[in-house]
Amino acid sequence: MSVRYAWLKSLARPTAAIGALLVVGWLLVALLSRVLAPHDPLHSMIPLMTPGARGPDGAVFWLGTDALGRDVLSRLIFGARTVVVVATAATLTAYAVGISTGLLAGYFRGRVDTALSFFANVILSFPVLVLYIVIIVALGASAANVVLAVTFGSAPAIFRIVRAITIDLRSRDFIAAAITQGESTWRILLVEILPNSSGALIVDFCLRLGYSAITMGVLGFLGLGLPPPTPDWGGMVNEGRTMAFAFPHLVLFPCLALSSLVLGLSLLADGLRQSAGRMRRVG
Amino acid sequence: MASVSGYTSLPGWLLRRVAGMVLTMLTVSFLVFAVLELNIDDVAVKVLGQFSTVDQRQAWLQENGYNAPFLLRYLRWLGEFITGHWGTSTYYREDVLTLILPRLGASGILAGAALLAIVPVGLLMGIIAGVREGSAVDRLVSVFAIVTTSIPEFASAVFLTALFVFWLGWLPGVSTMADGFHLRELILPVSVLTLYSAGYIARMTRSSMVDVMQSPYIRTARLKGNSMRRVILHHALRNALITPVTVIMLQIPWLLSGVIVVEVFFAYQGFGTLLYQAALNTDIDLIEACTMVSVAVVVFTQVGSDLLYAWLNPRMSLRALGRSSGVR
Amino acid sequence: MSEPPTGSPNAASAGQALENNDGSQLHPAARPLIQDALRGGTDRRSVLRVLSWLGVSVTSARALLGLTAVAADALPWRGQGSRPSGIPQSQAPRQGGILRFVCSVQQMTDPAATTWIEASNLFRNSVEFLTYVDSDNVTHPYLAESWHPSEDLKTWEFKLRDGVRWSNGDRLTVADVAFNINRWIAPSSKSPNRTTFAPITGIEALDELRFRLHLSRPICSLPEHLYAATCPILHRHFEEQGANWPRNPVGTGPFQLTDYHVSRIAVFKRRRDYWGRPAYLDEIRYLDLGTEVATHVAALAAGQVDLLYRVTISELDLVSRFPSMRLLTEPSAQTLVMRMQQDKKPYDDVRVRKAVVLSCDREQMLRLAYRNHGVLGEHHHVAPFHPDYFRLPPIKRDVAAARGLLAAAGYPNGIDLTLALGNTQGRYEQDTAQVLQQNCAEAGIRLTLQVIPAAEYWTIWDKVPFGISYWGHRPLGIMALELAYRSGSVWNESHFANARFDAALDKALGILDPRQRSLAMGDVERILQEEAVMVQAYFPRKFTVSSERVRGFRADPQDYYRMDGVWLA
Repeated sequence: MSVRYAWLKSLARPTAAIGALLVVGWLLVALLSRVLAPHDPLHSMIPLMTPGARGPDGAVFWLGTDALGRDVLSRLIFGARTVVVVATAATLTAYAVGISTGLLAGYFRGRVDTALSFFANVILSFPVLVLYIVIIVALGASAANVVLAVTFGSAPAIFRIVRAITIDLRSRDFIAAAITQGESTWRILLVEILPNSSGALIVDFCLRLGYSAITMGVLGFLGLGLPPPTPDWGGMVNEGRTMAFAFPHLVLFPCLALSSLVLGLSLLADGLRQSAGRMRRVG
Repeated sequence: MASVSGYTSLPGWLLRRVAGMVLTMLTVSFLVFAVLELNIDDVAVKVLGQFSTVDQRQAWLQENGYNAPFLLRYLRWLGEFITGHWGTSTYYREDVLTLILPRLGASGILAGAALLAIVPVGLLMGIIAGVREGSAVDRLVSVFAIVTTSIPEFASAVFLTALFVFWLGWLPGVSTMADGFHLRELILPVSVLTLYSAGYIARMTRSSMVDVMQSPYIRTARLKGNSMRRVILHHALRNALITPVTVIMLQIPWLLSGVIVVEVFFAYQGFGTLLYQAALNTDIDLIEACTMVSVAVVVFTQVGSDLLYAWLNPRMSLRALGRSSGVR
Repeated sequence: MSEPPTGSPNAASAGQALENNDGSQLHPAARPLIQDALRGGTDRRSVLRVLSWLGVSVTSARALLGLTAVAADALPWRGQGSRPSGIPQSQAPRQGGILRFVCSVQQMTDPAATTWIEASNLFRNSVEFLTYVDSDNVTHPYLAESWHPSEDLKTWEFKLRDGVRWSNGDRLTVADVAFNINRWIAPSSKSPNRTTFAPITGIEALDELRFRLHLSRPICSLPEHLYAATCPILHRHFEEQGANWPRNPVGTGPFQLTDYHVSRIAVFKRRRDYWGRPAYLDEIRYLDLGTEVATHVAALAAGQVDLLYRVTISELDLVSRFPSMRLLTEPSAQTLVMRMQQDKKPYDDVRVRKAVVLSCDREQMLRLAYRNHGVLGEHHHVAPFHPDYFRLPPIKRDVAAARGLLAAAGYPNGIDLTLALGNTQGRYEQDTAQVLQQNCAEAGIRLTLQVIPAAEYWTIWDKVPFGISYWGHRPLGIMALELAYRSGSVWNESHFANARFDAALDKALGILDPRQRSLAMGDVERILQEEAVMVQAYFPRKFTVSSERVRGFRADPQDYYRMDGVWLA
């Protein structure tokens, strides 16, 4: 069965279906945030209202308000936008770097491979969280720097996966055939090799997207996330932590949101992996 | 690691890996040094304080050899580092080596306690799920594993604290060990770590177990009439546990530096909080030393994990090694 | 400060009962002040403060004014116990015990150059000051037994207490005081004392225990300034012995430092050879549990510690859930100053600065960022409850005017600014900034927030063009103004250099009569407002928490804690 289209069949399985539902759901929320959010996420109204409470003009705060009087539901919805945009950008960038270097290393081998593999190893030897913290502290907290930090942290692992697959595929007959036919290297890499690794990569992509989201959450929690007042789930947990006992809605909903998104991605990845066959975990 | 062609022996392989380790650590040390000590003005401000004058800083820089060329400074630092002179922390005003050792010990205790919980729980869950593949237990374990690995550590820390500290009042909320060592103070951090990690171990073990249970060797053993329990205990486990055990070994670096969130949350005076404080304060000598220690732990456990894998699985040649996953 | 006087004032006995601590002749201004107060003119408490500066015996002044002591006087040589509110008088203090105090243990080498109030609380257990200012801002003798100023307030004669011994056995003499004062005012001094005590031209030793301070211009509140956190009296050999106090903790105080580990723990043990009444506690352990205050509260809830240094507004709900925890609070002149550096673009244009100030909604800031637990400020760093406060016309928020000013300054489409902050005191700094952000947005000012880790922020606090700085409480409004806005002051982070302002400050510092001084302060405040030096919206209250075992401890608006009167039940 072609690995390429196995993932479509995988959606029929219940766990993968739930995962897909969650992911698509959050994606829609992120895309339609301006329409769905009942209030301006940056606008202060009445602080610390409990979920379901009614404001003076009759508007209901379904998830309550935070310490600065901003609607938690609206911040949650716009936070989805933040997470989806930044985590996706970060993961895609990491993938761009990882795939290009992995393809080159796996295809050409030799000195290129040695150098790139060594460099990837060096970065992988760094404790990831420290890498993130040092980058953010050195460069300041902003969306671009979060993307940079996550790229640094994830690209080497992706590099390894792509490299291993490339090495494996390179020895196959159809590649040898393509070479004899005189296809250019670029074509081989992009048209022959890359699509055939899509199965493993898509699985990894889903998982890595989840890790990026968690990383954003952790950075926000450590106070190194996106600058206020950007709605950011990790930042919301950070801000509400001290009042969590009296006002649990401040941390409960962002945690549930983040967990459900990552859960969706994990379930999806799990489902995809199962139907793509038992592929040896490489890298 | 670069490709290993031809027949490899253990000593040869080991030598190559050690060389690789040393090279990796040298590169890391160079990169870290470059990032932190390229801008020497900041160093002077850190040590002398924000009220120091430009002249005072220039004088100090001259005295301490900061006006030498970069490469020379790096080599000098390297020499001192190898001989055990790790410098002084500008934030704690203490010798770095004496600062790090007790913190490493503290993180070691936390890591040890965590492993004591993670390993049995993870392995057991994985084994049971793998043996009864497709059953309700299997689904339960898989779901549990996926759910727990999707909840970030800070979130579970928040939930557990709210439940056990504020509502039930059973456990202390901080783990500073200020009054001396108390086991109670370890319970919450270990629980958070276990929640996050045991699920992952369980999944690895399960898939490995499933692989092994469906291998021809096991099927033959069952067909030969051996009881299920005998089959599992005598044949399947040994093979199935190879991957999980190596993966567990690779949790060790994570338990040292990746648990910053848990250590910070519970104010546990371990290596993670030390690294965090050092990074926040740009405490150069301390960051350099901590990074080197972390990297050393990573590369050592990588090599150790490969060795363990090779020892447990004699059929796997050293040649195929080098694919150990150092990251999740 | 607003306690109504009790008892009947007896004007007839004014001449007999009022006396200086050292028996010298009263300052000519003393009697007129008392009479003015008794007539109902000047506020009695303000007069009491002024009299205490002049060296008048506080007991005699109180008796005359008909005032009772509200603060815990906890003065060791009086042999009296503390009388904090809410504790029955009958309970006698218990000797002994180890107090576990959660407090940052910061790096500190020279107490005179310390920027951390926490560090000052630590060394305050071991080193002492010439004077002591209680929570009611009344100045009492401490190491100095008595003093009196000359009529022109430019010469101050002090007499040191006899029998005070350092922990290394030496006697406290004028040599020690001279060493310290010369250190403070030396041109190379890194201490803010250099600015505060700049008018001191010299110290003249009269004998082993008496000395005179000569000033170039009058400072009527000099004794009060001598209790500032950076003014402990260190041993005369401090510099020779390495100028690192934790390494060589010699002091005259009731406790002795035995351990000091930055960011971890500091331990003080009771000194048995202390010159005053020995402290009740055997030992105080300062534990650094990090910056997460919620963690500290959790530790207190679990009984791991006894007392917290500070609790912020975010933890109030948490604390209210635990009936065994005691919330202590005091009004305080601590504040967040959002200052703009006047020598950096675009803040060099007063119209831009005024636009920022005009768009600020102070009420909303106080309500949202601090839940109304505080008092509104007026952008000049003097609190309404400061005795030297002068009421200026109320400020109105005016977004339209702000827009107009921006347009006039050349920004018709608004302006982009960056505000840096470090959350050094808690998240309410960030919350305040976010409210400002919303306020400014209405005027076309697009404010970006730059949140920096707290420890990092202290290395750049005086370098950022627009940043939030925390300023602690000072008993007089003018003290903060001296340090922050006088030209060339060590802590002048806004680079404000205005000769008119300096002159107005000098004038106010020399006036004794509280009412007159208030008027002079009016000029000072007005200049600051006109120049739109800062956005300073409110004065938040101080909060801290203790377990119910802790007695004799009272929250102090300045966070200056004396531990010798504290005991554990």
